[in-house]
Amino acid sequence: MSTHETTQTNSTNVPEVTDPILEIRDAEVYFEMDRGVSRVLDNVSVDIERGEVLGIVGESGSGKSMLASALLDAVVDPGVLSGQVTYRPGDGSAIDVLGLEKEELRQLRWEDISMVFQGAMSSFNPTMKVGGHFEETLEAHDYDIDEGMERARELLADLYLEPERVLDSFPHELSGGMQQRALIALSVVLEPNVLVMDEPTAALDLLMQRSILTLLEDLKEKYDLTLVFITHDLPLIAELADRLAVMYAFELVEIGTSDEILNDAAHPYTRSLLNATPNLDAPLSEMQAIEGAAPDPVNVPTGCSYHPRCPLSDEECVAEDPAFRPTFTESHQVACFHWQDSAEVIPFNIDRPEAHEVDDE
Amino acid sequence: MNWFIKRIGQGVFTIFTVASLTFVLIRVMPGGPAQQMVADMRQRQPSLSTEQLNVMAAQRIGVDLNRPIHEAYIDYMLNLAGGSLGQSIQYHPETVADIIARSLPWTAFVMSISLLFVFILGIGLGAIMAYKEGSKFDVGSSIIAIFLSSVPYYVAGVVLIYVLALELSLFPLNGRYPKGVDPGFTLEFIGGALYHVILPAASFVITTWGGFALGMRGNSVQVLGQDYIRVAKLRGLADRRIALRYVGRNAILPMWTSFLIQVGFMFGASIILEEIFSYRGIGYYMFDSIDNRDYPLMMGTFLVITVCVVIAVLVADMTYGKLDPRVEAGGKDESY
Repeated sequence: MSTHETTQTNSTNVPEVTDPILEIRDAEVYFEMDRGVSRVLDNVSVDIERGEVLGIVGESGSGKSMLASALLDAVVDPGVLSGQVTYRPGDGSAIDVLGLEKEELRQLRWEDISMVFQGAMSSFNPTMKVGGHFEETLEAHDYDIDEGMERARELLADLYLEPERVLDSFPHELSGGMQQRALIALSVVLEPNVLVMDEPTAALDLLMQRSILTLLEDLKEKYDLTLVFITHDLPLIAELADRLAVMYAFELVEIGTSDEILNDAAHPYTRSLLNATPNLDAPLSEMQAIEGAAPDPVNVPTGCSYHPRCPLSDEECVAEDPAFRPTFTESHQVACFHWQDSAEVIPFNIDRPEAHEVDDE
Repeated sequence: MNWFIKRIGQGVFTIFTVASLTFVLIRVMPGGPAQQMVADMRQRQPSLSTEQLNVMAAQRIGVDLNRPIHEAYIDYMLNLAGGSLGQSIQYHPETVADIIARSLPWTAFVMSISLLFVFILGIGLGAIMAYKEGSKFDVGSSIIAIFLSSVPYYVAGVVLIYVLALELSLFPLNGRYPKGVDPGFTLEFIGGALYHVILPAASFVITTWGGFALGMRGNSVQVLGQDYIRVAKLRGLADRRIALRYVGRNAILPMWTSFLIQVGFMFGASIILEEIFSYRGIGYYMFDSIDNRDYPLMMGTFLVITVCVVIAVLVADMTYGKLDPRVEAGGKDESY
């Protein structure tokens, strides 16, 4: 697919962080299909700071879940993952995640980098008690079972569940929110350093989403976790995340602190996305949909993949894919030639006092 | 608990209905065994009055033709409740219960051997097909499974007899055990019985395993695509554990019911199969009784087959809740 040859430039410039726990370079995932190569992650490079909460935001089918899977080298078959993922446990060593042997990878997963999937309801074996899942996980990683189960009980209690009752239940005997919390406990029972969460609140009601976010914040503090939180729900994650990364068409288009993204979004897509987000304070008529549709992964537009939908696009956008460039600050970077004009052309339809309040906390 | 009583009650009601229908059959059908027997005996013993002949026929069949139908019906049902199925006409003076007692174990023998192999072949091959989904093995096995499932078991039986017994003389043509061997716990008898059961059992196995293999394949493919399999792999569980505790268990569970229903089907199928192989099981005697208008024996064997089917379905219902934790709660409070 010749359209992808020009997209290499994206990776040259990456916002630096001081103490990265994970460095992703040129991560690419593609599927061979009958109608062509489907590139569902296209040269994504990002650093994840130790102890931060990084929110990765994008619409459905923008490659968010692929990025999450890539962090654990867990892209589903027959997807092919290339690029570089470096994990730094904090003792000065660096582990090349994609170059690990099978057994090393098996240990890295869950012990160092763990993951919570979307749909907790389908993440448990329906014919096995929840406690069995904890035990077999500890056993598979040669952890001390008694000690591990003690930790499991504490974790469940931290998540406001009754440990004994939950461990002795079958998955179907728990509510969706309880299963989700039990799954979070299961994912940190081996005391990982990084927890990747792929839409962990997708199937839950709003109240449960909020309470899980609060619990996650406590859990992160107590167990010293780095959280990568993947969601399509921008306002939800904005409260929890230190930094936000926005994905469009299988690429990162903007990254910055939550504050910077919410108040000074520089990429036209991010600004339109914020304008399209439902908000209780804004009347429905103020919501603006983004015209057009997200591109097909087999046939992504040349140059900037957002150019067919972008009011700022010109010949340059069609011809060349913009690299990341710093905006108002060094930490806030955007892949757009015309970011300076975006605020003027796409004004926010409401002020965002809500976001300011939260960030001031 | 209520649910168990209700299910057993339903089973008893089914058996009761079948018994009643069988009774109505014998009384209402023209040219039934009673009239036929009265006519037979009148020819042989013309001196007896119709009254006496009716009494004699009634004694042999267990039905008094002169009594009103409702009284006779109550009598018959009381006899049935007492375990009496009447006397066989053809094998007089043997009782129907005796004939069933000595033939039923043989049918059960054929069925257990068949089911064992159907289960092993079906589940095993189905699971392998699912793991190698899309491979040549999968495609080939699927085609063979579909083809063999569409062959009726009695056709397979006839072909097996013709090729393996008649042409190649590898297996006995008929019978349950070698002639001249006394039944008992001897190696000779058990070996002979196993040798004789191979062809009848093979007719079932060859035509039935495919359905189970395809079912197992479908279930396994579905389970393999579930999120919890992916999560289990990421959690670093051993492949063996995932194959048995995750894929195997969740894929086999839905097969349990169809497996037990197969037991019921095999009882019905034994009628023709045992006739083909002259295998004196319960199906053989039922066919025999139809041939000879031996209505008491026919009723008896029919009832026994009904009872077996009802029990098989009942067992399927009741054990499923024990096997699948998700159904247990449904069993307690009416999920259907």
